[in-house]
Amino acid sequence: MTLQLSHLQAMLLFALAISVAFGFLSRRPAMDRLKYIVWSLFLFLLIGIGIGWAMYPLSR
Amino acid sequence: MTDEIQVTAPPHDSKLETRALLLGLAGWILPGLGHALQKMWGRAVACFLIVAALVLIGAGLRGNLFTADGGDAFASLGYLADLGAGSFYMVARALETRGPDVSHADGDYGTRFLAVAGVLNLLAALHAYEAARGRKA
Repeated sequence: MTLQLSHLQAMLLFALAISVAFGFLSRRPAMDRLKYIVWSLFLFLLIGIGIGWAMYPLSR
Repeated sequence: MTDEIQVTAPPHDSKLETRALLLGLAGWILPGLGHALQKMWGRAVACFLIVAALVLIGAGLRGNLFTADGGDAFASLGYLADLGAGSFYMVARALETRGPDVSHADGDYGTRFLAVAGVLNLLAALHAYEAARGRKA
């Protein structure tokens, strides 16, 4: 079994899995859980893409 | 004059502590089992599926699965992280029939996915242990 993922796909999968795990472990009512998952996913992606762009000038 | 606050420690219940330890251990061996035995079905299913998904993706990307004879401190830490996935460590080993390939970015990402699966499962097992002790909802 061999998978091939782009950088963005790998980051999306990683962020989604960790956000859902954190949401389920740290919050109980379903609505709180959902809000936490969405917020955590948003921050993962924002920070990940932000760091990516911050490193862009160093790549050349 | 000083105000003294007396804090009384909860009575130590060794039976409860043993049960909590066993539940934590169960959660480590099979992701989600520690929660399932406490009837926390949502958390149990989530832990199982997420750790399984991370291991499948990590092995699919041909990440490096560390072994006990790693050689240096980083390899030993990697081994501890990978081992956190419990029985899924063996699943990852069985899936990686062609061995790891970290010569490109995919393999490197795979290594991270496998390590995170282990660390996440350790966190879930710790959560199950704390829940069994009545310290988490």
